[in-house]
Amino acid sequence: MTLVGSKKNGLPAALDGGTRRRARRTEMSPLAMRSTQLLLTLAVLGAWELSVRAGIVDEFFFPLPSDIFQTVWAWVSSGFVFPHLWITMQEAILAFLVGAAAGLLLGFVLARVRFLERLLDPFLQMFNALPRVVLAPIFLLWFGLGIWSKVAFGFTLVFFIVFFNTLEGVKSVDRVLVDNARMLGASEKQLLRHVFIPSALTWIFSSLHISVGFAITGAVVGEYLGASAGVGYAIAQAQGVFDTKGVFAGMFILMIVVLIIDLLVNRLERHLLRWRPVQSS
Amino acid sequence: MMPAAQADTSTYAVELTGCTKQFPTPGGETYFAVRDINLKVEPGRFVSIVGPTGSGKSTILNMAAGLLNPSTGDVKSFGEPVSGVNRRASYMFQQDPLLPWKTVLDNVSLGLTMAGVPKAEAHSEARRWLEKVGLKNFADRYPHQLSGGMRKRTAIAQAWIVNPDVLLMDEPFSALDVQTRQIMENELLQLWQESGKAVVFITHDLDEAIALSDEVVILGAGPGSTVVGSYEIDIPRPRDLLDIRDDPQFVALHREIWGRLKIEVSKTYETAMAEEGEVA
Repeated sequence: MTLVGSKKNGLPAALDGGTRRRARRTEMSPLAMRSTQLLLTLAVLGAWELSVRAGIVDEFFFPLPSDIFQTVWAWVSSGFVFPHLWITMQEAILAFLVGAAAGLLLGFVLARVRFLERLLDPFLQMFNALPRVVLAPIFLLWFGLGIWSKVAFGFTLVFFIVFFNTLEGVKSVDRVLVDNARMLGASEKQLLRHVFIPSALTWIFSSLHISVGFAITGAVVGEYLGASAGVGYAIAQAQGVFDTKGVFAGMFILMIVVLIIDLLVNRLERHLLRWRPVQSS
Repeated sequence: MMPAAQADTSTYAVELTGCTKQFPTPGGETYFAVRDINLKVEPGRFVSIVGPTGSGKSTILNMAAGLLNPSTGDVKSFGEPVSGVNRRASYMFQQDPLLPWKTVLDNVSLGLTMAGVPKAEAHSEARRWLEKVGLKNFADRYPHQLSGGMRKRTAIAQAWIVNPDVLLMDEPFSALDVQTRQIMENELLQLWQESGKAVVFITHDLDEAIALSDEVVILGAGPGSTVVGSYEIDIPRPRDLLDIRDDPQFVALHREIWGRLKIEVSKTYETAMAEEGEVA
């Protein structure tokens, strides 16, 4: 049935902590783990640096890590990268907000109106099956080189994730919770507010990392394919002049920014889902 | 069959007349969950419905609650036909009905806040109820932080706070261990005695039914089961549930009712065995 939709995206709520718990038993202390991770990073970067310097790897394709960091520093210290980042963030945030809002709305409506769900299901599956990247050129034509073509592109990515998770979240609400709320006098609106929305939120939040990541992916890929500003554009520019250091620097900066955003999402998630049992031993 | 207490009141808290519930099966046949159910519960009475597995006990309760419409027959509550959920009734479910994203306090006050009672007032009333069920120090916990017994207590407070005239209880204590269960039964009886509410209590446990009730109704073997017997339980109140099982009156009643229930239980068992044989 409609389970297919969210399963395909591979993100139904990972509610049971079974696998995580199993991993924890053999865990070393957090500090030791962090040091080991740092060592691993240094080893990989060191090997990279040395093999380039020794001429085993072509510097044109794999620039020296030290050069990459210098480029990152130059971009950051000169302030060159910030306007681009700001544009990318604007696109990602807009794509996320509009996509999530539309996904939530349609998800709720379809979950509550069985007729509409059955009617629209094949179409939604069709659009979801479409590799979204092919839409970027047509969006460029429709919405121009500015931010809106990227927002539209990110929207198509975010929308389906939020939509399928909302649909599943509302439909998988425990029958007893609904009946109980109705017996306590809940109107349809109160059912939504007290039962359906909180229940769907757990599903949506468990997919939040993916949808936020997709919003940024949408923005960057869109910029890469055609734009006048943005991190994706900066990377495309660097590539255009065979400046591989610039390409790597752009990738590195994006990586750091997405990590920071992910950290914030984690915080938010922990706060909003604080009623959930802690999944640890 | 004994007449269910001659009532001079013409309005029953719950009144099912000729209620049948049928479903079409995927095979195109008709499955009767219950057939021609007549049930009258006077205000303030504690009535238990006992029957073997699959005898449609919950179906009857859901019809009384208005969560399920009978295919034929009438459901009335205090003389008024039930359409939509029964506004005079609260329901205690067999499963855990608490909203996991609300604290104990918010869960208990839910019925009041949804009825438009100001939050402060609803909360102070909820605290009063939490004290009654012995959970006043747990108001800010979330349901997953409570034990099974504590969650049941919260559910009781949640159902009673809206001051219903009828309580519909669907094997509310079946998931609890035996000791907790007896304690909960005692507490339920105490709450009920001071309240004057009608209770319809579903159980498969005859001991529990006799110990708690004014009247025990026996359902026949399913599918398409109907009421096959109704027994007055005249053990004086207040009852001490921890010792009641040794009471000679209890033992006599138990023997009499079990004699009838046993027939239905064996029928259910035989049907199940026969079906299993068909499958094999």
